[in-house]
Amino acid sequence: MSDTADQTVVVPESGAGRSDMIVLEGVEKIYPGSTQPAVSQLDLAIAQGDIVMLIGPSGCGKTTTLKMINRLIEPTAGRILLDGKDVTHVNGDQLRRQIGYVIQQGGLFPHFSIADNIGVVPKMLGWDKQRIKERADELLHLVGLEPSTFRDRYPRQLSGGQQQRIGVARALAADPPVMLMDEPFGAIDPITRDRLQDEFLEIQRTVGKTIAFVTHDLQEAVKLGDKIAVFATGRLEQYADPDTILTRPANDFVSDFVGGGAAVRRLSLVELAHLELHPIETDEKAADSRNGVAVAEVDGSGKPVSWRHLPGADAAGTPLVTVPISGSVYDAVDVMLDGSASLVAVVDDEGRAQGVLHWNDLVGGLRTRKGDA
Amino acid sequence: MNYLDYLSSNSQQILFLTQAHFLVVLIAVGVGSAISIVLGLAVSTGEPNPNRFSLDWFATGIREGSLVFTAALLTVPSLALYALFLPFTGLGVTTAIVVLTLYSLYTVLRNTVAGLTTVDRAVLESARGLGYSRMRRLLTIQLPLAWPVILNGIRVTTLISISIAVVGAVVQGPGLGTLLINGISRIGASNSFYQVLTGTLFCLVVAAVFEIFFAIVQRLTIPRGIRV
Amino acid sequence: MSTATSETVDTQAEAAVEEEEKKQGTFARLWFQHYDLVILPMIVILLLLFLFLYVGTRDLDTIEVRVLAFDNVQGLLAQHLYLVLISTILVLVIAVPVGILLSRRSARRLQGPVLAIGGFGQALPPFGVLLLMAFAFSFGPTTAIVGLTLAALLPVLRNTVIGLQQVDQSLIEAARGMGMTSRATLFRVEVPLAVPVIVAGLRVALVLNVGTATLASYIGAGGLGELVQQALRLNRINVLLVAGGIIAALALLIDWLAGVAERIVVTRSG
Repeated sequence: MSDTADQTVVVPESGAGRSDMIVLEGVEKIYPGSTQPAVSQLDLAIAQGDIVMLIGPSGCGKTTTLKMINRLIEPTAGRILLDGKDVTHVNGDQLRRQIGYVIQQGGLFPHFSIADNIGVVPKMLGWDKQRIKERADELLHLVGLEPSTFRDRYPRQLSGGQQQRIGVARALAADPPVMLMDEPFGAIDPITRDRLQDEFLEIQRTVGKTIAFVTHDLQEAVKLGDKIAVFATGRLEQYADPDTILTRPANDFVSDFVGGGAAVRRLSLVELAHLELHPIETDEKAADSRNGVAVAEVDGSGKPVSWRHLPGADAAGTPLVTVPISGSVYDAVDVMLDGSASLVAVVDDEGRAQGVLHWNDLVGGLRTRKGDA
Repeated sequence: MNYLDYLSSNSQQILFLTQAHFLVVLIAVGVGSAISIVLGLAVSTGEPNPNRFSLDWFATGIREGSLVFTAALLTVPSLALYALFLPFTGLGVTTAIVVLTLYSLYTVLRNTVAGLTTVDRAVLESARGLGYSRMRRLLTIQLPLAWPVILNGIRVTTLISISIAVVGAVVQGPGLGTLLINGISRIGASNSFYQVLTGTLFCLVVAAVFEIFFAIVQRLTIPRGIRV
Repeated sequence: MSTATSETVDTQAEAAVEEEEKKQGTFARLWFQHYDLVILPMIVILLLLFLFLYVGTRDLDTIEVRVLAFDNVQGLLAQHLYLVLISTILVLVIAVPVGILLSRRSARRLQGPVLAIGGFGQALPPFGVLLLMAFAFSFGPTTAIVGLTLAALLPVLRNTVIGLQQVDQSLIEAARGMGMTSRATLFRVEVPLAVPVIVAGLRVALVLNVGTATLASYIGAGGLGELVQQALRLNRINVLLVAGGIIAALALLIDWLAGVAERIVVTRSG
């Protein structure tokens, strides 16, 4: 069901030119005492460096699939290849030491200090103490927790979000090429979850792991996934990048699952940096207001503060709202709705105006792209 | 002769019997706990799959069987058990220790099984996911996390055993029960009441010493991360 | 019974198999829940059988025959049961109401101290308590009953208090919220929900009393302990074995009965 032909303009194709890190071939799982397979005849290939989100209603086999990759659940039939090597019958404990694993409840060992928790796999792999200690500090830095503060604490002294960061650090400890994550942010409050997701993407940019990630949250799947695999009762219904899943669901099940609001969700996939923006002028250059170009007043540090001139609109009556260029169109819409403005100034990291996005061309822009694809 | 005079003039005997009482309980509970913990670890397993026969069935059978058996032992009055063992192990310290050991099995075994099986599933799953073998999980995750529960079982057993050891004097077991038997067999003689009183009250002293001992052991052996 | 390979199974046959599996499932569940209730009587029966076989093969001397005579044993057994019964009823009548009183809001402050003193008192050996009672009052069954009652009182009191503490506070709030009086809440919500714990405490009392009553013979109150004492005094091993066996069997049997009763109560009250 791999769907590499389906590409769009917005999201660059992710699997091209790289080998598949995780391959499931005809994998099947029938639990003892049941005649109905929990997962049936599954073929799935995950390219190196990709984050693949496994999603579907509960009981659809997504977690079973994930746990078959590190053989926490033994497949009834089929083959599993990791980096081209058949691991269907190797020693499960040895295998799991080569694969990072993060679960929803964190699963930190309550009687181990944070540093010891991070060091469990390196210790089993026989690293020396000094190296384990350095690695723990390095990973604490990576997940944004100060080593000197957290190293010697115990899990129960940490908040849920911090525990989950340690869970990720622990999974990364022995630098495994592959990570499996089972709803790692599922039990975290929405605000913290959002921050953890951002941090997670940031970390992934540094470490570039191949990740299989189970979630029940479509928003999360769209935000984090290079590809999304939609499951229904043991079958893979569609496997494609988020944009394709949202815009061209393969069948009724997927379109029902994606549900209403797909177009709005899709906005979060469109990065402002990739858009052609309307030009914006700041006041010094625009002594004579030119028609068709928005002109903004800036403060001493070059940040736009109000509109001086707007083509075809009342500049004084329109509030000036800004959105960082690193954000998505979703963020821009949010800012516009929030500020009751029909347009938004897109600003760079220093807060200097880079362009303007109109409510109208937003709608037009989306329509154009849909026509393209 | 008032009670304080009695205590001071018999202090050596009282001290000796108190020490003996402490030691008998310590040895019996120590041996019983060791047996129970090893047995509990050996038969710890998940719920066996009812559809497929496996070794887990044996482990579960042995576990449940030994729980029922040791619980039944605890129901048997101590006098009866002392009487039943006397013909085989003779008068004296052996019978006392054997019987006390048998009594100490149940509570520790039950707490070991309960402690091992109630370890947070998420912790066990992540241990498995990180590549912990079954043995390593049992010894480095389950046992340390179950230890507070096990230790409490040992503590409770010890307190019960102090009372049971008193009855051991009936078969000439060592300890404070000797004072009770002496006192009751010499009713009316001087000091007989004091003897009984001392034998009873000094059990509290032994209990207090054990409580202190367990407070220290707890402090030393329960991992810092799970200490309450 | 996996039928993964055969795909053309007659559906009727499959339904029959399922029905059979369901039946087995119920039986297996009952067995897994209650098999311990079957094992215990079997142990007791084996124990007694072994004992009778052993004694039957021995040539008993006249003293042994006299001590083990049916009348003698029966009389001691009756005394024993009398002691256990009265003291257990007394425990029930005293400990449960006091436990309920202690769980009342106005008396909660007393709970801590009472439980603490109770825990302390439990460390006192019942044998010692019994003998001291005899010294303080008199030798005989009355003192023995008072001693037995005292020894078993604290465990049951503890169980009652803890049982009432464990009742889900939200249920109590719900009851009060619906307009039940505090009294109605106690008797219609709290006590029924605490019944299993209270019954468990009674079972403990019963077992403790059967055990402690064996020591009552040391203060002239008779009971089966007398058999052991006689055996020790006369140095007769056969008598010792029979005495120990009978006492053990009695205790196991009473505990078993209490266990069955407990199981019924707990099942009923869900």
